Amino acid sequence: MALLELQKITAGYDNNVILKDLDFQVEKGELVSLLGSSGCGKTTTLRLIAGFSSPMDGKFIFNGQDYTRVPLNKRNFGFVFQSYALFPHMTVFDNVAFGLKMRKLPQDQIKKEVMEMLETVDLKGFENRFPKEMSGGQRQRVALARALVIKPDLLLLDEPLSNLDAKLRVKMRVEIRRLQQKFGFTAIYVTHDQEECFAISDKVAIMNHGVIEQMDTPSAIYNHPKTEFIAHFVGFENFLDLKKSETAGEYVAVDGSKITVAEPKEGDSFRACIRPEDIQIIPEGSQGVNPIQGEIAVSTFLGKRHQYNVRTAVGELEVSADQESVYQVGDKVTLSLAPNKIILL
Amino acid sequence: MLEKKTKIYWLFILPGCIFLAVFMLIPLFTLIMQTFFNEAGSFSLTGYLSLLESTYFKQVFERSIRLSLISTLACAVLGFPTAYYISKYSKNKGMLMALAVFPMFTSPVIRSFSWMVILGKKGFVNKLLVDIGLVDKPLSLLYNEFSMVVGFIQLFLPLMILSLIGIMDNISEDLNLAAGNLGASKAKTFRYVVLPLSIPGLVTGSVLVFTGCLTAYTTPQLLGGTDTRVLATMIYQQAMSLGDWTQASVVAVIMIVVTMLVSSGINAVSRKLNPTL
Repeated sequence: MALLELQKITAGYDNNVILKDLDFQVEKGELVSLLGSSGCGKTTTLRLIAGFSSPMDGKFIFNGQDYTRVPLNKRNFGFVFQSYALFPHMTVFDNVAFGLKMRKLPQDQIKKEVMEMLETVDLKGFENRFPKEMSGGQRQRVALARALVIKPDLLLLDEPLSNLDAKLRVKMRVEIRRLQQKFGFTAIYVTHDQEECFAISDKVAIMNHGVIEQMDTPSAIYNHPKTEFIAHFVGFENFLDLKKSETAGEYVAVDGSKITVAEPKEGDSFRACIRPEDIQIIPEGSQGVNPIQGEIAVSTFLGKRHQYNVRTAVGELEVSADQESVYQVGDKVTLSLAPNKIILL
Repeated sequence: MLEKKTKIYWLFILPGCIFLAVFMLIPLFTLIMQTFFNEAGSFSLTGYLSLLESTYFKQVFERSIRLSLISTLACAVLGFPTAYYISKYSKNKGMLMALAVFPMFTSPVIRSFSWMVILGKKGFVNKLLVDIGLVDKPLSLLYNEFSMVVGFIQLFLPLMILSLIGIMDNISEDLNLAAGNLGASKAKTFRYVVLPLSIPGLVTGSVLVFTGCLTAYTTPQLLGGTDTRVLATMIYQQAMSLGDWTQASVVAVIMIVVTMLVSSGINAVSRKLNPTL
């Protein structure tokens, strides 16, 4: 059974519904990311799990118990805020010790555990500093230590790295993953950064307009998107409508050209997608798999690669080619679509 | 180039500075200097010494401080929940803030007269108390320390509320959520997060209310009695009724010193409660 389960959760405020009948499950020990653009409901979901707000409808089951109406201070979940939300009037030590003090642990045990945790996040010697005397990365680690020291049943992270510069972001996400694996805690990670999310997560749930469009391992999402939205999200730029033909594994495009697909699906008509780098440009008229005739419409130099927008009978296709042969606008070319890279949605 | 520009900007504050110097700093300085010389024009502390020996002055002094402190404390206790509600929970913040400062739109004279109507022998409060049988005959609620404190609170509560709202608005809601998330109840979140972070507002408010109460003249004059004089009314009495300008000046200087001492005292206490200030 899943450790955490959201059942048909509807949430929002006033007349504005943000989540509609949301179902979501997390297994013990997993790091699951909620990925999506702003306004998709990912933060609302996280805050709901934390108990910062309550759902209009639906149930939240945690560890077999109904947590829907459990007040936030009784949940024992760690939360890392985007703003860090460190108490500005307390030292690093007092910030980290706060949760333990609320749990009325003896003084010497609090001291021991806080110092251990500060050492784990590499902040030994900083215990008497105030948050404003520290850098962004250090504050981030204080926030992490504060959430971890209470030994939470679940760790919730709300875009924890978005206020850091790119280099530090990479360093910190490795750090978070290391801590998560060291302590084996279950975590939900909200982000809008695809790379960050794929790098850190066991599973990724991509949200759009208050629903989870697909939840899977990062590689499954990257290679086998289930919806057009997700395909767009993970870099599929080319979409074409295909109809089934008499031959198995063969489909017909809108202009009548035959397209072979390595992984056929049950059904009659499909939306198919392919990444720009999986389309090859071959000289006009030469033979190739899944050939489509076209004419270069736009040519963009991208450094390592060249990007072409090719006008074809099935619509404009974006192609990313290496530098071996360069084509000019107006050149007639033939495109070859790799059958094992065409995904049917 | 830049230097020239910043120099020119100094001119902007010049009119204000001249005004303050001519109409405040110079008279104040002259006033303070006067108190250290006797009628013959030689240096002497008799003005202070004779005043400090007088039991009447000691009474007035002690009363002024006590009533100001009581009023400040009352404003803090009344203003804090009000400000907290307006800042964090109200849906109609502008409206409530307007209501909070509304009393400031009328003059203290009119407000003091209103209290006479409410607290008098035949006033609303006494009528109610007699009617419900809580007392046999009307209480004397007017022309004593009680009515003065009531007047002070109504006069200065808006200042406390405004100072507190200004600070509370800047306390991020995330901090309250963080405290709750770490296991703090609502009461503990208040005690460990909201209260310490509101202290700057409490300090500003308290200094404003305290100095306001100590220097207020109309309210103690109208709502106080002859046996409840405070420093401000005493200055008037010394200068206008007794014609003793030197004595009045000495009282005024003492008042300034007390205000400054208490303000720094409040600051010191607040720094203890919130070390990052």
